[in-house]
Amino acid sequence: MEIWSDLLGGFATAGTPVNLLWAFVGCAIGTAIGVLPGLGPAVTVAMLLPITAQVEPTASLIFFCGIYIGAMYGGSTTSILLNTPGETGTMVTALEGFRMARHGRAGAALATSAIGSFLAGMVATVLVALFAPTVAEWAVRLGPPEYFGLMLLAFVTVSAVLGKSRVRGLTALFIGLALGLVGIDQVTAQVRYTGGIPEFMDGFEVVLVAVGLFAVGECLYNALYEGRSVSEVNRMGKVHMTRGEWRRSWPAWLRGTAIGFPFGTIPAGGSEIPTFLSYATERRLTRHPDEFGTRGAIEGVAGPEAANNAAVTATLVPLLTLGIPTSVTAAILLSALQNYGLNPGPQLFQTSEALVWALIASLFIGNVMLLVLNLPLVGLWVKLLKIPRAPLYAGILVFATVGVYGMRQSAFDLYLMLAIGLLGVVMRRYDFPVAPVIVGLILGPLAEAQLRNAIAIGQGSAWILVERPMSLALLLVVAAVLVLPRVLAWKRRA
Amino acid sequence: MSAARSSRAAQAAIGAGTLLLAALLAWGAAGIPSQAGYAGIGPDFLPWVVAAALAVCGGWLLHEALSGGFRQLEAPSGAPRGDWVALAWVAAGLLANATLIERVGFVLACAICYTLAVHGLRSAQGRRWGGPRQVLLDAATGLLLAAPVFWLFTLVLDVNLPGLTGTGWL
Repeated sequence: MEIWSDLLGGFATAGTPVNLLWAFVGCAIGTAIGVLPGLGPAVTVAMLLPITAQVEPTASLIFFCGIYIGAMYGGSTTSILLNTPGETGTMVTALEGFRMARHGRAGAALATSAIGSFLAGMVATVLVALFAPTVAEWAVRLGPPEYFGLMLLAFVTVSAVLGKSRVRGLTALFIGLALGLVGIDQVTAQVRYTGGIPEFMDGFEVVLVAVGLFAVGECLYNALYEGRSVSEVNRMGKVHMTRGEWRRSWPAWLRGTAIGFPFGTIPAGGSEIPTFLSYATERRLTRHPDEFGTRGAIEGVAGPEAANNAAVTATLVPLLTLGIPTSVTAAILLSALQNYGLNPGPQLFQTSEALVWALIASLFIGNVMLLVLNLPLVGLWVKLLKIPRAPLYAGILVFATVGVYGMRQSAFDLYLMLAIGLLGVVMRRYDFPVAPVIVGLILGPLAEAQLRNAIAIGQGSAWILVERPMSLALLLVVAAVLVLPRVLAWKRRA
Repeated sequence: MSAARSSRAAQAAIGAGTLLLAALLAWGAAGIPSQAGYAGIGPDFLPWVVAAALAVCGGWLLHEALSGGFRQLEAPSGAPRGDWVALAWVAAGLLANATLIERVGFVLACAICYTLAVHGLRSAQGRRWGGPRQVLLDAATGLLLAAPVFWLFTLVLDVNLPGLTGTGWL
């Protein structure tokens, strides 16, 4: 059993006191920012990216992954207790969880979401450990045409499938691609779109765009539109489930995990689709349909929460084996790896084997830590919801400054951060998705390089993209994703 | 229905802005040489693709805005009208931060940014100005927040942030 010995080696690396401390701090910060409205895991990891200049890769990736999964645990607490979801992935949890809390069952909702998250996180990590090496072995055989196809698929799904409007999703994607064009072209060293401004030579840092769109945009949006919005906080109950609630929870947890994991591994843009699917499944299968949408049904919390965590963990499979991020946070983790000069992809399992396995081992450790942090200690995090909004959002700006200035030591970036923040306000107000901007910015230059390599392999002919079966299949899937919904809608109308 | 009409006008402006961006990108792309070498496509290929795609998107958005508004638009959260004064305060804080950070150091610049932003956010909530005492209190809070952050990142994590003095403490 090679995997077994690799994994044990991973535990040995992840289990050193320093790395355990990083994992713990990551989980704690992740839970905190998950609970706090206005900050998500993507922007938090982005703000902390400057530490990659000093901290060694294994420790910082353990830290970042702790934040990533911790935010999902914390986000559900906010969705249950406050009527604004903490994270997009926990939006569905808010549907039933908030109703349960209204009717005095906040404790049971919190318990089922924490335990469900734990179970799904553990199962998903086992699956990552089992499948990722196999996928990596298979992925070695993929060439530039196939990579280009995969990236194209990621672009299309993240922009055209997820949102409500394809034109707004595609606009966001191309804005991200346009931002990615600025700077020096990787292949020919040609300078593009710098307008003679030296700061643009290195291009747009992903930290700058993520922090501007999410953190600063959120703060500005709050000042502009949300001043008079009131949010009500539900009363906490004792965190406890009855025997009947256990019996109703566990099948939902398992089904949620089974739905969530596959969705995390394909470029379908994060955990929104699987959580909604899981919710729909539970609603159909339940023996208590009267509770859905009224008093709050526990299955409606247990399933989506498990699906959410399974999907989040599963995003590591395409990230580590193919170098393709399927969520915004994964995209930022990708740029963390790039900061270390590590190229995620099948080679990572050979060149940085120790790092990958330490990361997987630390996911097991992190999930145990998070269960402790979120079950007995949940009362501690709930206190964070009492921070008044004005100082909270103003404080976020201080952290935004650390991340953006710390990355390049340029005050120019701080002006840009404000400009991108204003763009974020417009996008949020008019319902443009922001994830495609980040994915376009990070994957754009990579996809361009792959396309050029592919055509170079085809000796200057783009036909290579359709001559190789795998690449052709990917292009057909891309076309289907773009065209099918339109055809179906048209047929229904006709 | 004036709110809806102004929203429609803003949507049209977004479509027009996207078209303008596409034009800018195309103008820039025209200045990029297209020598392709072995790669078959040169460094101006993707710029043209992005410019063309944004032109299509911009036209589409403009068409939607002029024919009844964006399709499947989720009603935005929050108030129908923006509180522009509050926004100006927060933006002023960020601008002050960007202008001052290399002159007075991270801690003081962030404290000023915090004070201005928190004032704006509070005024958005419709609260009365708390007078000079409130300002002092906010400034102190800003300092108490920014200073430990500065120490943590510069002394422990070795991230480069500008200080007022060379001591590393301020």
